Amino acid sequence: MRHFEKIEYKPIPVRELLLEMKNLSELMIDLAYSAALFNDKELAEDVLELESHVDTLAYLLDMEIMVAARDSEDAEALIGVSTVAEATDKISDAAADIAAIVTQDIGVHPIVSEIFEKVEERLIKVKVNENSVMVGKQICELNLAARMGVDIIALRRNKDWMLNPNETEKIQVGDLLITRGAPLGIKEFKELAEGKLKELVE
Amino acid sequence: MSEQGQKRFEEIVERFVELKDTSELMMDLAYSSLLLNSRELAEEVQKLEEYVDKLHTDFELLALTSDFKKEEAKGFLGLIRLGVATEKIADAAAEMAEVVLRGIEPHSVLKLAIEEAEETVTQVCVTADSPLVNKTLKEARVHEETGMWILAIKRGGKSLRPKHDSKIQPGDILIASGYADGVEDLERLASPSSSCTPE
Repeated sequence: MRHFEKIEYKPIPVRELLLEMKNLSELMIDLAYSAALFNDKELAEDVLELESHVDTLAYLLDMEIMVAARDSEDAEALIGVSTVAEATDKISDAAADIAAIVTQDIGVHPIVSEIFEKVEERLIKVKVNENSVMVGKQICELNLAARMGVDIIALRRNKDWMLNPNETEKIQVGDLLITRGAPLGIKEFKELAEGKLKELVE
Repeated sequence: MSEQGQKRFEEIVERFVELKDTSELMMDLAYSSLLLNSRELAEEVQKLEEYVDKLHTDFELLALTSDFKKEEAKGFLGLIRLGVATEKIADAAAEMAEVVLRGIEPHSVLKLAIEEAEETVTQVCVTADSPLVNKTLKEARVHEETGMWILAIKRGGKSLRPKHDSKIQPGDILIASGYADGVEDLERLASPSSSCTPE
């Protein structure tokens, strides 16, 4: 049986909790699709772990809102916050449902992944080639979001996944990167990683 | 798998990708509707939710009527579950937009969280000296220049969903989503000399 973390009230600003729930729920969707389509069990398990973290955040946020509401006016002002937080929780649940397809050994038809990789333009998995200009560079040096509107959401090196890798992490030959973002940026990123595109254009 | 089978499969996957892309667009639009307290954008999300429901049904029917072999059943089940989860994401987006349609003024905390998130939505106004003026969205290449996607154009109090051939006019307000890093680039592109803040 799954372990449930004990919930105790902690004074954390609502804004921080909501921000983390929003960021995590969006990251989880992309990770979950990646796990399902690339049939990656470890990545799927990471998504399930994140989901239970989001559950904890949802409890904490609910408590914050209860403490903050003193009258009917507060309640009206805060109901929107709790509805949106609930929706982010639902999104992270959906991500966990997708991950469960992999962890429960159902899997998606291999042809799906094959076709998906051809038609999906916003999410790719790419291996860093030895000729890539990215090798040896820190992620922040690549300036990916500003330059091409993409973001590395997971990095696999020697069997371990790093989720949302640190900006100071240096890219190495053989790293497997899951990247999401704008279709054109994704295309450019793939060429950079595979060493087909030789320079970072501003 | 036969050639015909392969073709059918491609059709199912394409349907799924559209389901996935639409559910993600709905999330962006739902957050935008909250940030801007915009009924129009919230209504757009509700319309897309109806579209997703239809898309989802078509997708399931296609998957169920494809002639799969017994040993492929699991793979098809996985595909169907993928569709169910994607539909759930679209539902969640519709619930967010519903807050606006119920006349609940979005709390400042919500706006802050949306603005500070890794993926954010923003609005900028187009001034007369912007290189974007009189260009179609296709020509403007906003996406290539800034990494931001244009979700909607506000003009004369109305929100339009962008099309490739929509021409950008001075005074337009562009609502866009993307990584926070692109916001400044977009502002510079839309209003190069003056600081112009949409109300």
